[in-house]
Amino acid sequence: MNNLYIPATSATPEISFQFDTHQLSLRGESYPENATAFYGPVVDAVRTYLTGLNGATITLDVQLAYFNSSSTKILLELFDTFNQAAVAGNYVTLNWHHDPDDDTILEFGQEIADDCPSLTIQTLELA
Amino acid sequence: MNTASPSLESLSSFHRFQELAHAENVVFYYTGYFTQTMVTAMGEALRQRISYVDASNVTRRRLFSVFVELAQNVVHYSAEALSDVKMTDHEIRRGALWIGEKEGRFYVVCANPVLRESVERIRQKLEPLRVMSVDEIKNQYKEKLRTENEATSKGAGLGFLTVARDASAPIEFDFVDEFGSNNPTTLFYLKATI
Repeated sequence: MNNLYIPATSATPEISFQFDTHQLSLRGESYPENATAFYGPVVDAVRTYLTGLNGATITLDVQLAYFNSSSTKILLELFDTFNQAAVAGNYVTLNWHHDPDDDTILEFGQEIADDCPSLTIQTLELA
Repeated sequence: MNTASPSLESLSSFHRFQELAHAENVVFYYTGYFTQTMVTAMGEALRQRISYVDASNVTRRRLFSVFVELAQNVVHYSAEALSDVKMTDHEIRRGALWIGEKEGRFYVVCANPVLRESVERIRQKLEPLRVMSVDEIKNQYKEKLRTENEATSKGAGLGFLTVARDASAPIEFDFVDEFGSNNPTTLFYLKATI
């Protein structure tokens, strides 16, 4: 399938999902007016990519500077989709980049860890 | 000469408004129609403005977060819309937002019309948040993160909880009639101090 690239805007992150090399990244701001409208097609593309995938080593880099409340639930749903792929026999590493001062982003990373026990999660402090 | 021309009179009311804003340490004020484009532009202006003040990164982030939640609350829920009320994207709704500084703390006040029939529902959502501890707010946030959305919510239903989480004092709110008590809408005020 085709790789997915969506450039960043002031209120939405850059999404660069290189499905052919299993290197995926999501970086920037996330406060779209309608988070479901923005992330819905992204979640759909990820589901298509993961369908039938087995034994793949996937790396997902997430570096969000800020996300609003309506982004949180759909982001959790996105990570849960990767968790299911890990349960199904893939190796998924989530690199969770966060500002050391930002306890909210760190705590959200811990929520993901609680909900997605099959993901290998690394929390990385930004310099 | 005390017979000011009409144009000077209108400037003098603008000057009084300016003086009041100055006396109240207003960092930012906007009134009118809110759209996502406006929220993004105001957000960028706010970030630049607060990059010059003496505040921690945590304070800056919390102020930005409260600003976005309250401004997007107007975009989604103000009872006065220019856009079709059934739309969930590209919405345009009326409200006002004020960011000020008092005794070294920032605060955000937001106002928008709401239907009178929604007042009780909003009150029941906000009253408990005023008496909850930070840990209780965080726990409720975690629970809400994993429950189904309410029918009236266009987002994750976490907006008010996020505001309460990022505020350093209990949130304040009020309902004040704008066009008399027979009008179907009333003005909803919400204030959060960072």
